[in-house]
Amino acid sequence: MASITLDDVTKEFGEGGDAVVAVDDVSLDIEDGEFVVFVGPSGSGKSTLMRMVAGLETQTDGDVSIGDTVVNQLGPRARDIAMVFQNYALYPNMTVEENMSFGLKMSTDLSADEIERTVTETAEMMGIESLLDNTPGELSGGQQQRVALGRAIVRDPNVFLMDEPLSNLDAKLRTTMRTEINRLQSDLGVTTLYVTHDQTEAMTMGDRLVVLNYGELQQVGTPLECFYRPANRFVAGFIGSPSMNFFEGEVTDGTLVADGFEYDLSERMQANVGDRTAVTLGARPEDYTLSDEPTDNGFEVVVDVVEPMGSVSYVYVRSVAASHDETFVVEVDGQQPISEGERLHAHVAATDVHLFDTQSGETIHQRELTDDAENALSKPLENASAGAD
Amino acid sequence: MASQNPSQSPSQSQSPVDTGSQRLDKDTRETLVSVARHGLLLGWSFVVLFPLYWLASMSLKPPGQANALPPDWLFLPTVYNYIRLAQDGAFLAAFANSVVMVSASVVLVLLIGVPAAYVLSRYDIPMERDVLVWILSSRMLPPIAVVIPFFVIFRELNLFDSRIGMVFMYVSINLSLVVWVMKAFFDGIPETLEEAARVDGATRFQGFRKVVLPAAKPGIFSVAIISFIFAWIELLFGLVLTNFKAVPVTLFVYSFIGSRSIEWGMLAAASMAMILPVVIFLIAVNKYLAAGLSFGVVIKE
Repeated sequence: MASITLDDVTKEFGEGGDAVVAVDDVSLDIEDGEFVVFVGPSGSGKSTLMRMVAGLETQTDGDVSIGDTVVNQLGPRARDIAMVFQNYALYPNMTVEENMSFGLKMSTDLSADEIERTVTETAEMMGIESLLDNTPGELSGGQQQRVALGRAIVRDPNVFLMDEPLSNLDAKLRTTMRTEINRLQSDLGVTTLYVTHDQTEAMTMGDRLVVLNYGELQQVGTPLECFYRPANRFVAGFIGSPSMNFFEGEVTDGTLVADGFEYDLSERMQANVGDRTAVTLGARPEDYTLSDEPTDNGFEVVVDVVEPMGSVSYVYVRSVAASHDETFVVEVDGQQPISEGERLHAHVAATDVHLFDTQSGETIHQRELTDDAENALSKPLENASAGAD
Repeated sequence: MASQNPSQSPSQSQSPVDTGSQRLDKDTRETLVSVARHGLLLGWSFVVLFPLYWLASMSLKPPGQANALPPDWLFLPTVYNYIRLAQDGAFLAAFANSVVMVSASVVLVLLIGVPAAYVLSRYDIPMERDVLVWILSSRMLPPIAVVIPFFVIFRELNLFDSRIGMVFMYVSINLSLVVWVMKAFFDGIPETLEEAARVDGATRFQGFRKVVLPAAKPGIFSVAIISFIFAWIELLFGLVLTNFKAVPVTLFVYSFIGSRSIEWGMLAAASMAMILPVVIFLIAVNKYLAAGLSFGVVIKE
């Protein structure tokens, strides 16, 4: 078990004028036993950051520590880590058993008997004991994934690193493996870094999320914090599906004037906005209501497309007063009858509105939450906290 | 049904039953295709195998009868030519020469070429493309154009008519092939394999030796056999660069073509003997070849 510390870590690829900054001055403390998910779009540097912890990339600047040791100069083999790769990276010419024992042979002094016993135990835990004599080529994707996990677990390492391990699986298997990885991690209590671009994995798996964009740290917090208390417009738009709707506007006399509607800001909002004028309003699709009657602070919209998802429908609407024909998404109950071309009134409550500085993207006003919800924000997921003890 | 002559009955051809029978029914068509395919393959096998049969039968005929026209299709086979060959010290020496020199050159070319290909595939080499083309350039000139420089260099370096010299020459013939094919092969092996090995506690070299090399086995055996064949059948350089000591077996076979007459029987027997090592090698590594000759595409991400 070990904590991980990243101290002003920077990674540049290429040299001189052509250098591309993949990770920009990231500092991060990860506690012993924590499950931390790195999330971000492609090219956000999340994989590079993990590979620097693994020692597969060397940082241009800054320090990486595992436990109390600064591991800058140590190769991957000396860091006592285990990694699960997106393509599993099982050794094609070895059987499952050889795959799983390879790490123990390379990195420990265990006798052949002990290695065999450990491998068998882990295989039983993963439910792959019947596959031990097969080669990876003979296994299905799901089985390969299990073997890859087993190969990491059998080493009993200080840190697990998982680089999008579920993205090659079909949707159903992904759900199963997601719960399984969660369970394993809390049982074993090993510090885990997990890279993903998947919303669901990010929200459901980690104790904490690390949101990255263009190699810069955007926010570190529990999944719910990132969802309800986004630090900036990027996090607000990236976490949550469908994404938050944004409307750029001007604030004059306590009213936000956007293209297509006006919104009277509450007193608390006005206080937070201060003397800024360029402000972006953000509201999540599920916080809008669509009704036939005009409402305070509401505006008339015309329905463009309806996507019924079953329990909910995603309705793409366009403000009647807008000068453009861009739509935004509203999530409504699946049973609410709405047809394309219909004219309705969209409304979002003052409690649900986020405001962002249009220039810098910083959050200037957060939505309100009930006290219970507020308290739940900072708590890590229950199953994971049990494992961290 | 109406399969005799559908074109005569336009009214009937409207009905679905009839349009179906205008074409041959499915089973018959498949049988025909299969017959045609097998016929074609049989024909091609004949084209390929007939020269081999001709050579074998020629080697088993007594002298004088070997080149008779029209050939005697039925004859009493004799191993006379082979016995004469086996008793010929010069032939045995040349054969042994070739086996030793070619084998040594294959081992050497793999030892040099495989690591080189790995480095070119995995590391950031400055001007990698140019390096690769430079390696390939060794094969761009026709051999006849470089044989004289080779001769001069070999004489200067005291390599003329030496086995070591011939090994170097074979290596120079095959190196570009090994590097290019193996680079493509290594490119097809995902880099995460070595990364997994390094995270698992292996050094870079152990990762290469224990994980990448076994995965590259099909490619290695393929280039080995191709290199072996190219060196084994080499004639021109052997002709110019050897004299007595390091004569390869190809040159010996060639020597049966005299200025006045050609010893067909002996020529055929020696040729058959030459084919033997290649066939043995092929059978030995056969199971790797199918994957190897497709140059890496079999290994999937």
